[in-house]
Amino acid sequence: MKRRDFFKTSIAGAAAAMATSLEAGVTGQPIDNRKISTIAFPEKRPMITYSDRPPLLETPRCVFANTITPNDAFFVRWHMPDIPTHIDPKNYKIKIDGLVKKELNISLDFLKDPANFEQVEVTAVLQCGGNSRSAFKPTAGGIQWGHGAMGCAKWKGVRLSDLLDQAGLKKDAEWIGFNGSEKAAYYETPNFVRELHLDELDDHVILAYEMNGEDLPYLNGYPLRLVIPGSYSDSWVKMLSNITVTNKYKKLFFMDIAYRVPDNECECETPEKKAKKTKPITKMNVKSLIGYPENGTVLQTKSHVVVRGVAFDDGHGIRDVKISIDNGKTWKSAELDDGKAGRYAYRGFKLAIKPMKFGKMTIMAKAINKIGQEQPLAKDIKWNHGGYKFNGIDVVTVDVV
Amino acid sequence: MKKLLVLAAIVTAPLFAQVEGDIEVPYIPFEVKMGKGFGEVNANCLTCHSFGYVTNQGRQSKAFWAGKVKKLMVHFKAPITDPDAKIVTEYLYEEYGNGELK
Repeated sequence: MKRRDFFKTSIAGAAAAMATSLEAGVTGQPIDNRKISTIAFPEKRPMITYSDRPPLLETPRCVFANTITPNDAFFVRWHMPDIPTHIDPKNYKIKIDGLVKKELNISLDFLKDPANFEQVEVTAVLQCGGNSRSAFKPTAGGIQWGHGAMGCAKWKGVRLSDLLDQAGLKKDAEWIGFNGSEKAAYYETPNFVRELHLDELDDHVILAYEMNGEDLPYLNGYPLRLVIPGSYSDSWVKMLSNITVTNKYKKLFFMDIAYRVPDNECECETPEKKAKKTKPITKMNVKSLIGYPENGTVLQTKSHVVVRGVAFDDGHGIRDVKISIDNGKTWKSAELDDGKAGRYAYRGFKLAIKPMKFGKMTIMAKAINKIGQEQPLAKDIKWNHGGYKFNGIDVVTVDVV
Repeated sequence: MKKLLVLAAIVTAPLFAQVEGDIEVPYIPFEVKMGKGFGEVNANCLTCHSFGYVTNQGRQSKAFWAGKVKKLMVHFKAPITDPDAKIVTEYLYEEYGNGELK
């Protein structure tokens, strides 16, 4: 019977997407409050589940009332059906080759030894470029994520630059390719490889083996993944097997065709006239999400409610989060946390409100970063074919009784 | 009336990591609409990915579904024959289409 319930919820999700796909192209709010599956994946509590092969799991909204996303509720997104069946931490090695003076073959123990590399930590938001995709109309291509294809964790590892220093880059080194261990069903399918230009790789980029004080969960890239604070997660290669230094950019599916937006100022296009020139999604835009209350939460009149949520951008840092409870007529600044988690982390916000009127009430949240960029209203966000980079002002509707 | 079918498990990937014992990614029995061409979908699509990966793209146009099938053939090198690609596209549009050709 439980499985039946799960089916119903996935049908409801599909139906909601259908209902919106034929409307004129005005961006709305993403599909919210999808049901949590009754089936748990390894090391995870039950989550919103889109696929088992490859695993695609979304974090429910309520988790974003806190600034650290627990490992067992952290979203999961793989591209290939075949995730390695054995990873023996004793035998696992990361290889660094190509245009280096000394090829490296490094074990986890060697990597974790402070005598070899400085061990560093960064708290950073990991967000899928297609997070909130279901907001776009007509339905954009890709998994119809709600808000929860994102999370924030404290990552521990070693700097990529320290590793490259130890290998010694040759003079003409320019591109660094990162190869993950996930495999397709056919040998001919391109591997999930990313290539980043040396200029994109600053000291904040790390190879992480730990997440929130624990080994990375299997589904989040055990035993080692790339962490690129401020960038969307398509570059954060999981289960790293190989790093190759080259002088020439190789054409790659996941760089050149997937994860791209129109290369124009609004990063927008229409289904009839798609942009010819595109660019990678790279840096995240400013965004916020209310973790409590949620859509449909019942609040008592004249009760003391604390609205809580998280805000982030690509590393400029959050200056202000404004809340409106009158459909955007007036806005009030929320109280921000101390920001000590750093500029790549979720900045927690909270605001005390007191609902006075019976009926539906909307709560809106708008983040503004330190260079003055602010979230637009959802309706002002123009369409792109991949449904990437939605960052509309968050809206939840509660029932005041 | 469309019949509903729960797909039988095809492949699950066992995992062994810092977790105790043998672990597998669970099989999720996504609801499947039994329409014309599902046999070809089963043979050409579900060997590589779950049915949820299909339906959670949302309702889409015929051009979208045709494009997806083509992408998997061209870029992911899925060995789908042209006649099968056509049948799969028809199925997807019929069962998970949005009524729009483009």
